[in-house]
Amino acid sequence: MSKEANPRPKPATQASRKQWPIPKRRLSWFFADHQRAVSETFKFVSLKLGSSLFVWLLVGIALALPAALRLAQLNFVALDDGWQGRPGLSVYFQVAADSSDIVEVENLLQQNSSTIEVRLTDADQALREFMAASADSESLTTALSTLSANPLPASLQVSVNNQVTVDQLAALRLQLLQKAAVDDVVIEFTWLERLRSLTQLIERLGWILGCLFALGAVLVTAASVRLAIDGRLEELRVLSLVGATRAQIRRPFVYFGVFYGLGGAIVAAMLLAITLSAIETPLTALLGSYDLPVQVRGFDLPFLGSLLLMGLVLGVMGALLAVKQRIRGAQEAIY
Amino acid sequence: MSAITFDRVTKRFDNGQEALSEVSAEFDSGSMTFLTGHSGAGKSTFLRLLIGVDVATRGRIYVDGVDIGKLGTRRMPWYRREVGVVFQDHHLLPEHTVFDNVALPLRINHLSEREVTSRVRGALGRVELLGKEHLMPTQLSTGEQQRVGIARAVVGKPKILLADEPTGNLDPQLARSIMKLFSQFNELGTTVIIASHDIGLIESMQMPTVYLLEGRMTQVGETSDV
Repeated sequence: MSKEANPRPKPATQASRKQWPIPKRRLSWFFADHQRAVSETFKFVSLKLGSSLFVWLLVGIALALPAALRLAQLNFVALDDGWQGRPGLSVYFQVAADSSDIVEVENLLQQNSSTIEVRLTDADQALREFMAASADSESLTTALSTLSANPLPASLQVSVNNQVTVDQLAALRLQLLQKAAVDDVVIEFTWLERLRSLTQLIERLGWILGCLFALGAVLVTAASVRLAIDGRLEELRVLSLVGATRAQIRRPFVYFGVFYGLGGAIVAAMLLAITLSAIETPLTALLGSYDLPVQVRGFDLPFLGSLLLMGLVLGVMGALLAVKQRIRGAQEAIY
Repeated sequence: MSAITFDRVTKRFDNGQEALSEVSAEFDSGSMTFLTGHSGAGKSTFLRLLIGVDVATRGRIYVDGVDIGKLGTRRMPWYRREVGVVFQDHHLLPEHTVFDNVALPLRINHLSEREVTSRVRGALGRVELLGKEHLMPTQLSTGEQQRVGIARAVVGKPKILLADEPTGNLDPQLARSIMKLFSQFNELGTTVIIASHDIGLIESMQMPTVYLLEGRMTQVGETSDV
């Protein structure tokens, strides 16, 4: 029976503090809770397959772009490595250089222990190649035929082994420039420098776009999980009232994040595979023309594993964001 | 020993409105009490504080000697597992079967499926809904839905059963049958508090009653005193 006023409050005793203690976690409870959460997530995703596919596609696109840039960066580095296998320099002689001076320089280079090959293009051969290359331009061909002397110099194309550093090549260049017959020496690392700059650009672009698109993936997942939470607020309120712990309430939605993230990563992998397949022919032609390896590197199991892990992490982050924002107020709004 | 003690409890909302003012009351273990008053008298706030959904602005609420205001968010779920709640509008989950709705507190509590089935069937038997466990809530009448709500509240064998206007949407005959159910659970030792503004129904039950007026407790006694 109830009584009015002046109740003697009963301070919490040692015994009463033992009321409703948090029990020790059992492994079987852990698995039961996770099994229930996974089952609920499967049910939800299968009931709303259309919207789930849409989320996977959005997350997939967000993941595919930075992943594609990462692949591009990996392959540019590979090109860089491939180029470093064939370093060298070009020696341009004075226009009227004496053939004995040319032979002397040629011999000097061939005696160098790091030289692999020395190929001479004499002035006549250079003119013939130039005429052949300019055959389409009638005015240029006519102008060249009117010249009394060959305006092109002889040159040497030198390949050195890949142990030679750029500094050593620069020292060799200075040595060759001492020769009176030598007009200029060009070390073939301009293209390498450009390639390295491009690689760095792609790497930085990859990081920036990667962060932006990762944020996009997190927000897409968060928005989707938030919608899922809104659709189940009534259930969450009831769960809270019947004594579900915070973890029990949050867990299904964290699994939504896992599903969306992993699904998005799989879509991203599929998009990349399709893209690589589509560009394979023109890429082979382009790289083949530079005598470079045509196999695309990096699209392998570790890469796909990283992509899945990234999807998983971003999905969970999105889910936790939504849960933090949305579930907090749910308990207070029970009725 | 009192199961529930309200010690000068005041609840003031952010807008300054005082829903409860200095309310003190004791509810003995195993008692059944009505909480009545006009709409806005503070009945729902009283129950919300007891469930731990709201926190008292001043004063303390003790359940079995424990100040529930100090339970904290981690211990609160374990307390709530000892409290069954019945609502006026049932709060059944429409996409779950009757069985799954009633089983919800048991599954949260990690009972085995065998135990869940046994207890759910037992609870549904008490509210005379056996055979309807595979139906969806929308396939049931209002009275049946309320009985599912009661089955869910009692299936976990709570020490305390709270009901907020449980007969508000029911005709007088159904209301009496629902009240009879509460009496039966009370006879099993559960402390029952029912918030209702249906004076006629409360009088017919001849039970102890707490009367709230604008957040203040004005009367306590048998129904005939109200």
